[in-house]
Amino acid sequence: MISLPVIDGPYSEPDLKMWRSHPHLHQDPDLIEVASEELIPGASEGPTGTNRRHFMQLLGASMAMAGLAACRRPVETIMPFSDRPEELIPGVALNYATAMNFRGVARPILAKSYDGRPVKLEGNPDHPNASGSSSVFDQASLLQLYDPDRSKQILHNGSNASWQDVLNLLQQTLSGNRRIAVLAAPDSSPTRARLRVELENQFSSFEWIDYRSEGDDSEALGFQMAYGLPLRPIYDFQNAEIIVSLDADFLGTTAANGNWNTYSFTQGRKLNGVEDQMSRLYVMESTYTSTGTMADHRLRMRSDQISDFASQLATALGIYSGSTPDALASEIARELLNSNGQCILVAGETQPPEVHALCALINDTVGAVGATISLLDTEQSPQNPQSQTLPALVDDMESGLIDVLLMLGVNPVYDAPPALGFHSALERVNDSIHLGLHVDETAQKSTWHIPMAHFLEAWGDGRSWNGTLTPVQPLIAPLYDNARSEIEILHALSTGQIASGYDLVRQTWTSVLDDQEFEMQWRRVLHNGYLEGTGYDSVTTEPSFDGPLADSHSGLELILRLDSTLLDGSFANNAWCQELPDPITKIVWDNVAVMSPKTAADYGLVCRYSKGRYISDVVRISANGQQVDLPIWILPGHADETISVNLGYGRNISTTRPQRDTPFWDKDDETDVYAKGTLATGIGTNVSILRNTFSQSVIPDANITATGQKWTIVTTQDHGILDTKSRPIVRMATLDEYREDPAFALQDEVPTPSSDVKTDFQEYPELWKDSHPAKSTAFRDSDYWQNQWGMVIDLNACTGCNACIVACQAENNIQVVGKKEVGNGRELHWLRIDRYFVTDGGTQLDADPQIVMQPIPCQHCENAPCESVCPVAATVHSPDGTNQMIYNRCIGTRYCANNCPYKVRRYNFYNWSKTIPETVQMAQNPNVSIRFRGVMEKCSFCIQRIRETQKRAGLEKRSLHRDEVVTACQQACPAEAITFGDLNDDQSQVSQAMQNARGYKLLAELNIKPRVSYLARVRNPNLDLEPADIS
Amino acid sequence: MSTSTDHTATIPAEPPLVTGNLGFHDITQLVSYHTEKRPPSVWYMTLLVSSTLLSILLILIGYLVWNGVGVWGNNNPVGWGWPIVNFVFWVGIGHAGTLISAILFLFRQQWRTAINRSAEAMTIFAVICALLFPTIHVGRVWVIYWTLPLPNQMEMWPQFKSPLLWDVFAVSVYFTVSLVFWYIGMVPDLATLRDRARNTFKRRILGFFSLGWSGANRHWRNYEKTYLLLAALATPLVLSVHSVVSFDFAVSIIPGWHTTIFPPYFVAGAIFSGFAMVMTLLILARRIYGIENIITIDHLEKMAIITLLTGTMVGFAYITEFFIAWYSQVEYEQYAFINRATGPYAWAYWIMMSCNLLFPQFFWVKRLRRSIPFLFVTSIIVNIGMWFERFVITVTSLHRDFLPSSWDYFNPTWVDMLTFAGSFGLFMTLFLLFLRFMPMVAMAEVKMVLPESDPHFYDDHDESEPSTH
Repeated sequence: MISLPVIDGPYSEPDLKMWRSHPHLHQDPDLIEVASEELIPGASEGPTGTNRRHFMQLLGASMAMAGLAACRRPVETIMPFSDRPEELIPGVALNYATAMNFRGVARPILAKSYDGRPVKLEGNPDHPNASGSSSVFDQASLLQLYDPDRSKQILHNGSNASWQDVLNLLQQTLSGNRRIAVLAAPDSSPTRARLRVELENQFSSFEWIDYRSEGDDSEALGFQMAYGLPLRPIYDFQNAEIIVSLDADFLGTTAANGNWNTYSFTQGRKLNGVEDQMSRLYVMESTYTSTGTMADHRLRMRSDQISDFASQLATALGIYSGSTPDALASEIARELLNSNGQCILVAGETQPPEVHALCALINDTVGAVGATISLLDTEQSPQNPQSQTLPALVDDMESGLIDVLLMLGVNPVYDAPPALGFHSALERVNDSIHLGLHVDETAQKSTWHIPMAHFLEAWGDGRSWNGTLTPVQPLIAPLYDNARSEIEILHALSTGQIASGYDLVRQTWTSVLDDQEFEMQWRRVLHNGYLEGTGYDSVTTEPSFDGPLADSHSGLELILRLDSTLLDGSFANNAWCQELPDPITKIVWDNVAVMSPKTAADYGLVCRYSKGRYISDVVRISANGQQVDLPIWILPGHADETISVNLGYGRNISTTRPQRDTPFWDKDDETDVYAKGTLATGIGTNVSILRNTFSQSVIPDANITATGQKWTIVTTQDHGILDTKSRPIVRMATLDEYREDPAFALQDEVPTPSSDVKTDFQEYPELWKDSHPAKSTAFRDSDYWQNQWGMVIDLNACTGCNACIVACQAENNIQVVGKKEVGNGRELHWLRIDRYFVTDGGTQLDADPQIVMQPIPCQHCENAPCESVCPVAATVHSPDGTNQMIYNRCIGTRYCANNCPYKVRRYNFYNWSKTIPETVQMAQNPNVSIRFRGVMEKCSFCIQRIRETQKRAGLEKRSLHRDEVVTACQQACPAEAITFGDLNDDQSQVSQAMQNARGYKLLAELNIKPRVSYLARVRNPNLDLEPADIS
Repeated sequence: MSTSTDHTATIPAEPPLVTGNLGFHDITQLVSYHTEKRPPSVWYMTLLVSSTLLSILLILIGYLVWNGVGVWGNNNPVGWGWPIVNFVFWVGIGHAGTLISAILFLFRQQWRTAINRSAEAMTIFAVICALLFPTIHVGRVWVIYWTLPLPNQMEMWPQFKSPLLWDVFAVSVYFTVSLVFWYIGMVPDLATLRDRARNTFKRRILGFFSLGWSGANRHWRNYEKTYLLLAALATPLVLSVHSVVSFDFAVSIIPGWHTTIFPPYFVAGAIFSGFAMVMTLLILARRIYGIENIITIDHLEKMAIITLLTGTMVGFAYITEFFIAWYSQVEYEQYAFINRATGPYAWAYWIMMSCNLLFPQFFWVKRLRRSIPFLFVTSIIVNIGMWFERFVITVTSLHRDFLPSSWDYFNPTWVDMLTFAGSFGLFMTLFLLFLRFMPMVAMAEVKMVLPESDPHFYDDHDESEPSTH
């Protein structure tokens, strides 16, 4: 029995005697009898000896222990919190620096953990190759950890096996001197590289191929072509005056160094005053990308014309004899030369290595290398492209020369070109071992499958884009006991023994860190998340390239790209990613064949908007003898005679999770996205089979034929061309216009009683000015009144990359509703990015529109229209100026949502939080309420972060530091487009940003006084260019 | 009062309100008979249909509460869909009864007596249907009582600035006053039924509800005073309840809703639809129950004239809205109205315009005003039009408002449709029970407008021909 002296201490009779009556004093037996029947001391105690107080103690203790049992942290034994792990305070988050491998590059991550449970990932702000921002994939990788369909069991020919079976196999391999091949996803881990060398030395027949599902790394190959080595460029967009993109989506979410690029690019576009300079971005691209939306001049071109354009540029510069430059190429060449090296030319992943080599040559010629471009020596020897090495391996497999094939985090059965014959060759391998997060297509065809540990569960290391050594430390023990990391498997292969990843990584780092102070340095590295001064060296060598460029072709061109929400399909089972709208098309839960309006018309294809959804023609795309059926999507601004398709769809993942089946009157099985098997299975179509080698990301001669079928496509947004004059929602000007009138955004502002815009003819007094609740004593007396929160969003910086949306989703426990419900208009994203096409008149409205992006969170209006209409006061204003949603009070009339002019309120039409799988429940932020059905929700300015920071400051007996509170969207944004803070503090970033002349408030004419300001967009076009040159 | 003399003086000039040479007893017999005999087989058939619909309604409410509001078509821009459309529709229908009983009573429109009882019953049943929808349309129906100002330990009151709260008060007060008004008006008739009842059980119940009515002079005096006072109390409510309902829209800031014309326009529309519904029901009831002599073609014609008047007012309001949108020069406002007439819901708009503005114009022709089939069809068309009016206001304003990025489309689901159909089941079931068990015509009041009820009737006339005044 738990006893506490405070409560159960010895009780001593008091000296004073109190008595009620004479009989009482004299212990009258009658009275005692009466008294004992009443509920006087002890009467409530049960007959068993456990009294109420004991019961409560037991209850509390068992609750505490039940809570403990649910925690997973890297300790072997479960101990009560009387032996509290160091630094761990229940309910207080701890941040750990770690890293995630993203396309072969370590992305520095700061992971937030509550009671041993990672719930939120951020960029590591201290890391030399990061600005503290994060991308869609950095954020969404958290949900990969809690994916309910992750594989849990070691499988041998489809049935459960044990780790000992695997060890036996590996020991046999070791002693039998068998022929081994490894296919591994690109990774920069030094530990993995060390183990690879060990294995290469150990086995006489050992092959290792880095397998990139998207195909050859044309950038590395191009640099290898120009410099002889796979040098890696790092771009300083911030200091560039002229930036030219040749089909390069360097700002996109799939770019390996995208966060850094976006940060650097947008820093060079910030306009705080008229004297500020701004870079000029030319984009020649085949489809509309995030980079294209930021362009000052954008020219849509077929992919093969882009290489021709590169040759024109080089010819204009006199370093190559190619096509005769046209007016645009000559002008760009002139600008590049005039910039004195303050320029950057980037070629995209879909361009062949030759174009990259030519770009390297141009960059060198115009003096950009060394000025705005550093070339890093990645310490790699020249590589053969995967499109050459892999067929050789498959031939070996086919002819039985490979005994053991180890596949680490790759899925070649799904994404290898069919012409390679990988699938049939795999069957000839005796022991094919697959390590992966899911029982995916390859796992199903391999003889062995081992569950892979997520990077938040395993030790590792890596190198960021600039080479900085970055440790990967786990925050949680593997959710599934059998899960292993790559390095543990490789070590087991090399020794036949199990070693912990921790020891393996430390062993590698002994060669990096000082022997004497290893422990201290190691701890510092883990704390900081990187080792300073370990970046790759930059080299200066002369490039050379005079090879021919690929000829342009005439047929229909098909371009395969990584998906901006699913990547290569590794994020396909991630609900956040599936429901994340594509940055440009805003499509969710589908992949499509994107084409221009003209191409669609040429082929007689239509994509019709009908009742909130798109009904699209399904086409059969045939290339290289393979066929794929895909619905079409018409994207204005896409190149003609070109079709863009995205990888990563059409997955087939198997799971052991039971399906949810409810009776016909219960819609839980319809509304739960997890109800029917894995999320990824059956969504979209696998297009990777259309290529015939890995060098093909552009397929020159594709055919499309209409199948006559229709498919329903769901987007989060209608198509819409915005007439910026009549609806001044997104306001924009050119740089010259801005310099002439920095406050151009307010030119035609409609006066309101509270705005600063004065009219000549009339004074509008503000109604109830003095009796506004914000002026009431109840507000003023509140301590919260000291801070008035506001936000500024810079439309000149936002690339529409979606990182903020996923960050918001992770932070605020926003549920996923599925394709059908998004189609019904019931998505729950608190923050959305509105995309508008802008045209400035002309005949062909939909040929070359611009795209503008506008993130819309709740605007936290001071005169909030939602607040006054709620019948139960469930949405109210806080003293610190935020509009708050009181979920417990909400009865769900939806009047507030109707009356919101920004339509940012989201409603729980179904009980989406009821059906969250158990593991996904672990991903929920404990500081944010889970919303029940029938309740309204919306952006809260991350009120939990505000309050947490205020509490911390209160405990430390200080006032808030300037800009100490950071919202989730702001923290994620790589472009630093979002500024948040205290408007009462003149020096805070948000107050400074509010002073920016470009500022305007959306729908300010309604006199609702939004707390969110937008900074109008400014473009920097080259006025020397004739409009005819760029269209 | 001079009115009584005026009124007696005018009687000879007007056509008779009751035809067929009916005496006091004939009227008692004609009306009471139906509560005492077996109802006609068509009554059973209709009850079967309506109670089936009612069961569907109840099942669907269960389905809704179990699964959530998602079973309807409502979505993010269109937070209010069919349930609110139906609410406004039913409240509108619930307008005619009290208007007929209260306002026409104060204006001494004697023809009201034939139809006021059933119109009031219809009002009450329509308001029951109306109250149902806002109740079930909230997300968490089990805490709907938070909209009531109930004292609680948190001292948490409803938000008195919200038009929805005004709605709660307006509609519930309207319901209460209408119910009391209806009941008080029924007391003499209930006493008549009590006196005719042969079954003890029935007599007991009717005895309880007829409040010991004995027809004494004092009873009549008190009764008429009370009735007059209640009429005076109900009159402002007729105007206020739909004005308040219109505030749900007018007080918001959504283009297409934020309109000062809404209160009068809603009241006119409500009377319009209410009269149409009364016509629909009474055309059937008078035929089935053979009371064509009490509810005469003249009554129907008068209702047709009111329908024409209010329909034209509503149509005028539609056009005024367009004019004001143009005159405002506000893009959002202009677009909201252009979108109504030409956007994805243009079909609903043109149904509304033709049903509400165009069709009633046929009532300028007297022959059509007095054609029973035409009246019947038009009354139904008007109610279709008025349902679409509420649909147009609610849905087309919401589906495209300020930011084009949020524009979406609203698709009703089968649950929406069957719930609406089910509300007709509720309405019709209640109305059929009313026809079966209650005096469907206010016998006492009809008798008052008979020429014989004039104290001086027999002074001027020969006793042998009482009906030819």
